[in-house]
Amino acid sequence: MRYLHIDSPRPRIAVFDFTDCEGCELQLANKEETLVPFLNAVEIVNFREIATGAGEDYEIAFVEGAISRSDEVERLKAIRGKARLLVALGSCACFGGVNRMKNAYDLGAANAEIYGRTPKETLPVRSVKEVVPVDLEIPGCPVSKDEVERIVRHLVLDVPFAFHAYPVCVECKQRFTTCLMEKGQLCLGPIVRAGCEAPCPAGGLGCWGCRGPAEAPNLEEFFALARERGFTDQEINERMAFFGGFEGVVVGGTR
Amino acid sequence: MKNLLLPYEVTKEAEMAEPLDFNRRSRLMNTHRVFKAEISSITQLTEKEKLFHIRILDPAERQRFTFLPGQFVMVEVPGYGEVPISIAGSASNRGFIELCIRRAGMVTSVLHRAKAGARVGLRGPFGTSFPVAMMKDHHVLLIAGGLGLAPLRSAILHVTENRSDFRNVHILYGTKSPDQLLFDYQYEQWRRVDGVNLSIIVEEGGDGWTGEVGLVTRLLDRIPIEPDRTYAIVCGPPVMFKFVCNKLGELGIPMRRMFVSLERRMHCGMGKCCRCNIGSTFTCKDGPVFDYWTAINLKEAI
Amino acid sequence: MACGTATRGRPPRRPRGEGFTLYKTLRKEAFRSVVEAILAGSEGVEPRRVGTDRHGKPIHQFLPVERFEDIDFSYDTTEFSAKTYFLPFRERLSTYRFSDGDWEQETRYRAEPRALIGLHSCDIHALLKLDKVFARDWYPSPYYLSRRRNTFILGIDHDPCEGAFCRSLGTDTVTHGFDLFLTDIGESYFAAVGSDRGLSLIDRFGARPITDEDSHRYVAERKRIAALMQNDLNLNNLPNLLDIEFKSPIWEKWGAKCLSCGTCAMVCPTCYCHGVYERISMDFQEGAKIRQLHACTLVDFAVVAGGHNFRPTPESRLKYRYYHQHRGFVEQHEEPKCVGCNRCGRACLAGIAPVDVIRELQEEVAP
Repeated sequence: MRYLHIDSPRPRIAVFDFTDCEGCELQLANKEETLVPFLNAVEIVNFREIATGAGEDYEIAFVEGAISRSDEVERLKAIRGKARLLVALGSCACFGGVNRMKNAYDLGAANAEIYGRTPKETLPVRSVKEVVPVDLEIPGCPVSKDEVERIVRHLVLDVPFAFHAYPVCVECKQRFTTCLMEKGQLCLGPIVRAGCEAPCPAGGLGCWGCRGPAEAPNLEEFFALARERGFTDQEINERMAFFGGFEGVVVGGTR
Repeated sequence: MKNLLLPYEVTKEAEMAEPLDFNRRSRLMNTHRVFKAEISSITQLTEKEKLFHIRILDPAERQRFTFLPGQFVMVEVPGYGEVPISIAGSASNRGFIELCIRRAGMVTSVLHRAKAGARVGLRGPFGTSFPVAMMKDHHVLLIAGGLGLAPLRSAILHVTENRSDFRNVHILYGTKSPDQLLFDYQYEQWRRVDGVNLSIIVEEGGDGWTGEVGLVTRLLDRIPIEPDRTYAIVCGPPVMFKFVCNKLGELGIPMRRMFVSLERRMHCGMGKCCRCNIGSTFTCKDGPVFDYWTAINLKEAI
Repeated sequence: MACGTATRGRPPRRPRGEGFTLYKTLRKEAFRSVVEAILAGSEGVEPRRVGTDRHGKPIHQFLPVERFEDIDFSYDTTEFSAKTYFLPFRERLSTYRFSDGDWEQETRYRAEPRALIGLHSCDIHALLKLDKVFARDWYPSPYYLSRRRNTFILGIDHDPCEGAFCRSLGTDTVTHGFDLFLTDIGESYFAAVGSDRGLSLIDRFGARPITDEDSHRYVAERKRIAALMQNDLNLNNLPNLLDIEFKSPIWEKWGAKCLSCGTCAMVCPTCYCHGVYERISMDFQEGAKIRQLHACTLVDFAVVAGGHNFRPTPESRLKYRYYHQHRGFVEQHEEPKCVGCNRCGRACLAGIAPVDVIRELQEEVAP
């Protein structure tokens, strides 16, 4: 930033994917109106989805996906060893994501269900921080490009970044979205972290919690009011387990 | 309780007769236009605190900008944010504004990365000030803990520059450890001012510290206090000024003659955003300087 | 003035209703033309039915409307208040353009004309309260004022809303703060005129001076409406009560229910607490200073730099919400900030309704 007399170096970044759909990476390559300045702000040394090079001298590693195989564990550890800053990108990397649902089943049975008579080597799904230390987590399924851009602008200047602490409800109000709970749908909005601009409720779909819990959510009251509105514990638990952001949180004691 | 019936100081005719500036605050203005200013010099005070000299670029605007000790400004780093910062310099200095800033949040981190020559925005000054006019002809106790020395320094500079207006002047300053002492290179200068007593104390001395060890309240024990002729200004974290003010109360100083400066995260400085609101009081326009009676009635403040 | 027609033979009398607000009558058939004339000249925002809640009741919102047919004047209350048209959720306060080691600031607060049609008296009172903060207090806000002055307000009288306690706050009737305010008196509307633009508008559509008969009908209609008011919450001495009950277990109870979701403040017609933050463009060429609505019930409301939270519990945040509504604002402006619309009570998923909270507080200290 020249007006601050700060030289903004272009940090060398790399993007890696593990067990995932590569949708978050795609977000990085999205949004044409800012793509060029985005790529100017950083130096991409390794990003399989959009670039040919596979450099090893990166400072910031964006890691997408959950960790579900032993070779992934090794690869992740190697990345951690090289990166000054390791960023978990997307709900899979942050919480295990949709993949985490596998952990609720017997591993062998799950393997057989998917791969039949040619089972693959597999481990219980873990988030990135369950394997190596993580410096920053950007949740979302997919991540919001706006938020990623904002974070990158902070990383470039090496200044701290704060996520919204409040829940999705605020962003529904901003868009004049009629509360889906009032309309009779289940919505995790009151306990999930905002920052997505609440597109799902605006489209008529209650929040599934891809961004994980808001700061200090009032789970007890949320469960009480959801039950009062006729939702079963199973429905609520399935909803919370979907993206893995509520790991360890269970209503009613059974799943 | 001692001094219960002490008369209020309403006899200073000069103050009462001053015509009020009725227009200033009610005039519709461009509330978010900033003074463009340049960071003219940066001094590293401690690991976390830096002193910034900030000069308003336009000479006419620079002349127009005046403030009273204890007031604050909103410092804006365009594109990153705006933060409230108490002015740490002398009100008589019209050349530049001194701001002592701790690296704590996002905006202050950017400021700490900025270099001399950087251009920032300034809005203000905002808020109430220390009652330096009322303090005239009284003994003065200036007490700070930690970063509290930053706002208090504007009062210290006022008192040392106008030494003849005041009776005994005591400056007491305490921090956690010696490496957190702010403005340590200026203590000698303040001490040398005729009739100014400066005492420093740290909670944990460590190797090489030859000064006093303990809490700032300890320093009060050996100061002769004439309660009905004394004003006290106390700046620091709530837990610190609570102990200090209670002690001053025991010594007989009435609560309306003790002044504290409260910290809140103002977002506008104009009593609009409510982020600094405590019940019915806006720290930005009813404060940040409050007399202790008002401060303890803010319930949440202490 | 155009309306003063003294009857021949009698001593000329000052026309009824001449004063701060002028009164006229408007034939009902002309109402549509009045609304259409407004819509033709500016953006119009009106109550519109947007859906049905889980109990089968209609949900309304104030939304831009282009055709008279889309307006539903029979609405009870709207899900969100009209404040968004004066204090938008997000607003750009200034723009910075960076170049060559320097920057230029630009601030803009020009607002396009807009009309709000079909506002109830509580919502007009809400604007009067916001006026006190943003137009009449220190540092009037140019952003607010330009919207307020460029907004035409046509209010309508109505039967009391379910759950509202406007009468306790004196907001069930309104005397100023609008351009036109209409009360149904049978074949015509009894129109309170609050501005010259209001007057010239209805005069174009055949408004007539009021007669004694019109006045009687108006008073009768107001009486009928007043008799329908159900909630009569006595707010006498509430500011002191809030002080006395500062440490009441009641706050613990309601605080435990609070989701800290900010919905109460978002739907409130007077909640104006906000935050200011900045954004920089991806090419680092432009910065923006943005004001965004916040809420005192959100977890980070009172966080200061370094991370300390002055209100870490939902209980303390909820309590300070009531404090601001019913004590702090009273101290500042001699009236509560609340208008009694009960939007917060309706919208709160946890069922925290001001009527219940205040009643419990009162019972707590009752002998």
